Amino acid sequence: MSTRNTISKLVTLGGLCTAVALVATGCGAGGPAPSQGGSGGSGSINVLVEAGGHAELTGVAEQCKKDTGIDVNFVELPYDGMFNRLSSEFSSGNVSFDVAALDSVWLPSFKDAVQPIDELFTDDVKKDIFPALVKEANVDGHFIGLPAWTNAEIILYRKDLFEDAKNKADFQAKYGYELAAPKTWKQYQDISQFFTKDGMYGTDVKGAVETEWLAHVLQAGSPMVLDQNNNVVIDNAAHKEALDFYVGLAKSAPTGAAQVDWAAAQNLFNQGKTAMTRFWAHAYRQIPADAPVAGKVGAAAMIGGSAGVAGVPGPWYLSVPKATKNTDAAKKFVKCAYDYNSMGIDSKLGLASRISAFEKYQDQPGYESFKPLIETLNAPATATRPATAKWQQIVDTVLIPLLQKAVAGGDTSALLADAKKQIQDLLK
Amino acid sequence: MSNASVATKAGPPPSDIPEPQPLRKRRGVNREGLEAGRRSTRTILWILLAAAMVLYGFPFLYLLFTSFKTPIDTIAVPPTILPREWTLENYTNALGRSGVVASFINSIQTAVISTALSLVLAVPAAYGITRYKTPSGRVFIMAALVTRMVPPVAIGIPLASMMASVGLADTPIALSIAHTTISLPLSIWLMSSFFESVPRDLEEAATVDGCSRLGALWRVVIPVVSGGIAVTAIFAFLASWNEFLFALLMTAIRSQTTPVVIANFQTQFGLDWGSMTALAAVYSIPVILLTLLLQRKIVAGMTLGAVKG
Repeated sequence: MSTRNTISKLVTLGGLCTAVALVATGCGAGGPAPSQGGSGGSGSINVLVEAGGHAELTGVAEQCKKDTGIDVNFVELPYDGMFNRLSSEFSSGNVSFDVAALDSVWLPSFKDAVQPIDELFTDDVKKDIFPALVKEANVDGHFIGLPAWTNAEIILYRKDLFEDAKNKADFQAKYGYELAAPKTWKQYQDISQFFTKDGMYGTDVKGAVETEWLAHVLQAGSPMVLDQNNNVVIDNAAHKEALDFYVGLAKSAPTGAAQVDWAAAQNLFNQGKTAMTRFWAHAYRQIPADAPVAGKVGAAAMIGGSAGVAGVPGPWYLSVPKATKNTDAAKKFVKCAYDYNSMGIDSKLGLASRISAFEKYQDQPGYESFKPLIETLNAPATATRPATAKWQQIVDTVLIPLLQKAVAGGDTSALLADAKKQIQDLLK
Repeated sequence: MSNASVATKAGPPPSDIPEPQPLRKRRGVNREGLEAGRRSTRTILWILLAAAMVLYGFPFLYLLFTSFKTPIDTIAVPPTILPREWTLENYTNALGRSGVVASFINSIQTAVISTALSLVLAVPAAYGITRYKTPSGRVFIMAALVTRMVPPVAIGIPLASMMASVGLADTPIALSIAHTTISLPLSIWLMSSFFESVPRDLEEAATVDGCSRLGALWRVVIPVVSGGIAVTAIFAFLASWNEFLFALLMTAIRSQTTPVVIANFQTQFGLDWGSMTALAAVYSIPVILLTLLLQRKIVAGMTLGAVKG
């Protein structure tokens, strides 16, 4: 008998034995057995979290264990699959977790499946959380999630290019004002145009994501897409102005804007292909050490339009499902996440949700992005996305196709009018 | 005097008919032509084979090379095939991540149980369908195929709820059962075609020699189709090993499999290409080894139907 045959038989035999053993025991290799309703037992809870946010809560969990004795097991899932998983478990009434970290856009969808946590929103807490987030956490009169960390788009720019004497002189000569981090749409346009030369581009234009254009809509003085009464306002003058500004930057950006998303824009900037980018603040601290732009990047608050500076916050909220049998322990963990919120800043993602946590770090070297982030999140025109359960559908089926057609040269007025009809149909 | 004799004397008459060649020479020309034809056919086949190899192999090679790149190299614009600087950092990061080893064990457990379940159910089902040829058998095999036409997400969510309601939430068994729903129809179809290729005479001879029907199946038919069983096992194993959606919906702490962990490198705030490709490369090793180990059986299984008739 050949060695290969012997091995094959051994593998088969081993496999069958394993299968029989596992059928008999039903065990897995990952951790403690969860009981229905979420937790692995008294004094232990399961926390469902998007993979990128896991590290944010690791330190909190350790501290919470010391303070309250509660063991925290993390269920880590990729972002793209998390919504399906949450929908599946909430609709079945059988949840495998006691706390869920929810993207802000999901709050309206899951408002009936999570518990009010009003008691955690004391006056002190409300004062230490950015106003837009306090507003967003309150759905139908109850607070249903405590922000664990938040983000917003700021301006990242090539400090070395901006400080170059020749660039400064040339820019001054051409545009009649000093080259510095842009504060207005006009400045952003001028600087983008100025640096678009010799194989380099002034900025990127992201056709595959909608948040950035929506930030410009806020800067132009309009609520995003829907007004307070859920009327569709996507065809108003501010949306048109913001879209024209957005599309107008395409001539100072790499070609193929329709397909540029966050990852592509981040790569372009980190590779030194663009002089500026409007990007989530966390990216400042994630520039690879071996990147051509490492150590050469500056950060500034998001640019302003006629309504001033504005950004779209990107917070994640900790919520407690109604179906959990460990409400007390779950709420204790949420409280821990607030109390030790600044620990998230030491994680890979490096974000927090409390104003005081950002302020504690803002003057330290390496955290230069925090001041612009605080300024953007505190800006009066900054607002969260509309509280509708259809929001993700609106984004995927209307807003992104609209942007892709617009950056490809479509008629912006016609596109906005068409988008209005589509959104009205979706909301019927 | 005949025309022929005149021609003989005056030399050959003008004609389009080629002069007859000696038999040996004509054969030589044909053989050379045939060999030249064979050579060009072989060359074309080699080119097609090479193209297919590049088509199938390049994505894996690119993944492998990316796993050895530095972070900035992985996102280079334009992308490079070979790393500018080779590093094992991605492997250290990927394998050092919490839960990776456990997820490997879970993947192995789930795939083994699912494969075993598929074979245990598919072999007798396929045998019954091919040997008894009843109308209900034909309906059954068509119905099995129909289950493949339902989008997995449509059954994934109710299946997850069902498993939770019977206390199997977050267990490898639950995921194995879910994976079996994917691999079983294919296994039944594959095994049916393998059983069809085995002449009934073999079983009849075994019966004459005193075997029962089950004895003939076990002692005669199963050994003949062992190559087919290996092929079916590989397909069932791969279906489970690489499955993502059910694993995403049905696993949490105890039974999360590696495809979900690999996907976790893509987050809302970034994509760690290096670690993701490193873990994917490591995850492909068991399947490559298994395929190499069972290579002979697989080839035998693939050609099983070829001797029919």
